[in-house]
Amino acid sequence: MEFLSLLDITFFLLAGLGALVGIIFGAIPGMTATMAVAVCLPLTYALGLNHGLALLLGLYVGGISGGMVPAVLLNIPGTPSSITTTFDGYPMAQKGEGEKALRVSVIASVVGGLISAAVLFFFAPVLADFSIKFSYVEKFLIIFLALTVIASLSSNMLVGIFSGVIGIWLSLVGVYSTSDGGNGKTRLMFDAMEPYLYEGFSLLPVLIGIFGISTILLEAEKGVKRDIAGERVKLGKGNSGFSLSIFKGRMTNLVRSSFIGTFVGMLPGVGGSAASVLAYTQEKNLSKDSSQMGKGAPQGLIASESANNALTGGALIPLLSLGIPGDSTTAVLIGAFTLQGIQVGPLFIPENVNTWYVMMTALIFANIVMFFLMFYAIKHIAKVVMVPKHLLFPIIVMMCVVGAYAINYGIMFDVWTLLIFGVLGYVIQKVGLEVAPLIIGFILGSQAEIYFVKSLESFGTFSIFFTKSPIAMVLWALIVASVVFSIVVGMKTRAKQKMELSQVAGSTQVKPGKDRDQNSR
Amino acid sequence: MESGLSSLLSVSIDFETSHLFFPRIIHWILAGLFALILVTKVAPFMAAVKRGERKLPIVGEARDSFRFFGTLVLIVAYFYLMAVVGNMFPYTGYGFLFVSMGFVLLMAFLYMHEWTKKAVITAVITAIVAPSLAWFVLAKLFKITLP
Repeated sequence: MEFLSLLDITFFLLAGLGALVGIIFGAIPGMTATMAVAVCLPLTYALGLNHGLALLLGLYVGGISGGMVPAVLLNIPGTPSSITTTFDGYPMAQKGEGEKALRVSVIASVVGGLISAAVLFFFAPVLADFSIKFSYVEKFLIIFLALTVIASLSSNMLVGIFSGVIGIWLSLVGVYSTSDGGNGKTRLMFDAMEPYLYEGFSLLPVLIGIFGISTILLEAEKGVKRDIAGERVKLGKGNSGFSLSIFKGRMTNLVRSSFIGTFVGMLPGVGGSAASVLAYTQEKNLSKDSSQMGKGAPQGLIASESANNALTGGALIPLLSLGIPGDSTTAVLIGAFTLQGIQVGPLFIPENVNTWYVMMTALIFANIVMFFLMFYAIKHIAKVVMVPKHLLFPIIVMMCVVGAYAINYGIMFDVWTLLIFGVLGYVIQKVGLEVAPLIIGFILGSQAEIYFVKSLESFGTFSIFFTKSPIAMVLWALIVASVVFSIVVGMKTRAKQKMELSQVAGSTQVKPGKDRDQNSR
Repeated sequence: MESGLSSLLSVSIDFETSHLFFPRIIHWILAGLFALILVTKVAPFMAAVKRGERKLPIVGEARDSFRFFGTLVLIVAYFYLMAVVGNMFPYTGYGFLFVSMGFVLLMAFLYMHEWTKKAVITAVITAIVAPSLAWFVLAKLFKITLP
């Protein structure tokens, strides 16, 4: 219980503040949880590890939850993971049950968040304990598996793999560091670039550029319209008509969706929309009466919102036990850890037991704060969707600059990196490549190289990747399984899901950036 | 047969060029994937473009050019001037403070659709308050390096 001494009033205030700011970010269409975490990173430079984590986890939980507000009230998912919330939330809002819909969603969210936190708490240490024994060979195969899973679950496997490999390529720019056993030579650049790129591209400016600047560019291209102009926020009047009895007989749905969300969250690089769509279709297939779904049934909200909040705990599992981020937001969290000089991986939990408990406290507390804020102050928070973008966007660019500049204590090239990757992120999304696999590839690429080359240097044969240990063979089986899964099942279900979704979404206005589902939450 | 296979799989990495070993593999994979995508995705897409069913991304799409390129120009000017002004007053963060004010104001004007008196006044106030607040909290309270 030593970690209790690390918790002070500031810690809880920061977690609460994070949840509030996160909700606001999530509630503004186009702003995502990833962006909230990326933009607020500079604040953590001066905070120290525990306080910084409190703020960031609060932002993460709040950001994912906030997306329900515009989904219900305006039929625009605030974050892509709220896409299925629009199916039933908006019809309810039109019937004047907006507040009821939001309250159902809030309760589903907090249950999903807490269930996934519990899974995280029990499962991550076990997985970490298991993976501690991994040698370079298994570590490489784990990364390889992660990349295969990302690719096999992205909307097009070939494009997913290609995006991931581009990410790996970008991570290799710069020196093959001697501290990692390399020979200290640079590659993939011209000699003239050496003063800037010797260490390669810094992680955080890359992330902030891709998630912050490119979003601004995509919006600017559309003319920064106010999607909400002329629309009235329909909260419903007087008695919201909400009572806990709505959840009667819905516990199976709630728990099932939470576990689906947690599981999807564990798979690296899979977008939040996948979790909520999966939970939603499962409820549609398995529930006794799904005839009202899509027309304003609370059961749809329960499935969607519990699944997308369950992602938070799920995505942290591979991050804390294997060092592999489960989604783009946790990818930014890796940056925050690196900033504090902490390496995430199998040794993280055993070596930082107190930090681990602190994180769990922050996660659970953030969920509770999110619940109270949204349950009781929902009417006021709902107004946030009206904040004019022409004031918001310049401030976001400004915060991105601070984040990039301060990361390495004042290097102007990091600010230019923002622009380079902002434009790159824009182009990537325009030509139909996928950002999430690219980012995960970028984060894992340099480690993959080290593990791969070291394995070959010590064993001298490619066959070692197949014969090193039973674990290696199991990993290969999983890799093959994920590829086969995506080819065989993927094609069938995709066609089926497309049909179902187009029926459900017939009346739903989906944001033009739907392609970006996978990339940002 | 066995030895043939194992000699095929055996590899020795020269330390001097070990920094190029993995990138070379990645290049081959990239090239292979690109060729595959070219054949399976790009070719059918281009055919659809020719028939007029689809539009080329970026070049063929309608966009708000004024706001899009305006954003790019503003961001480049912002980054550039920040360093220039910052060098005039080293270690103060004034470069960030003053250039941010101008940037926030201009970008707000760029994105503004309805030019009302109220909107302009809010934009001016935001442009003064937001950078000052960020500068004060980060540079003064937290002692974070700013340009």
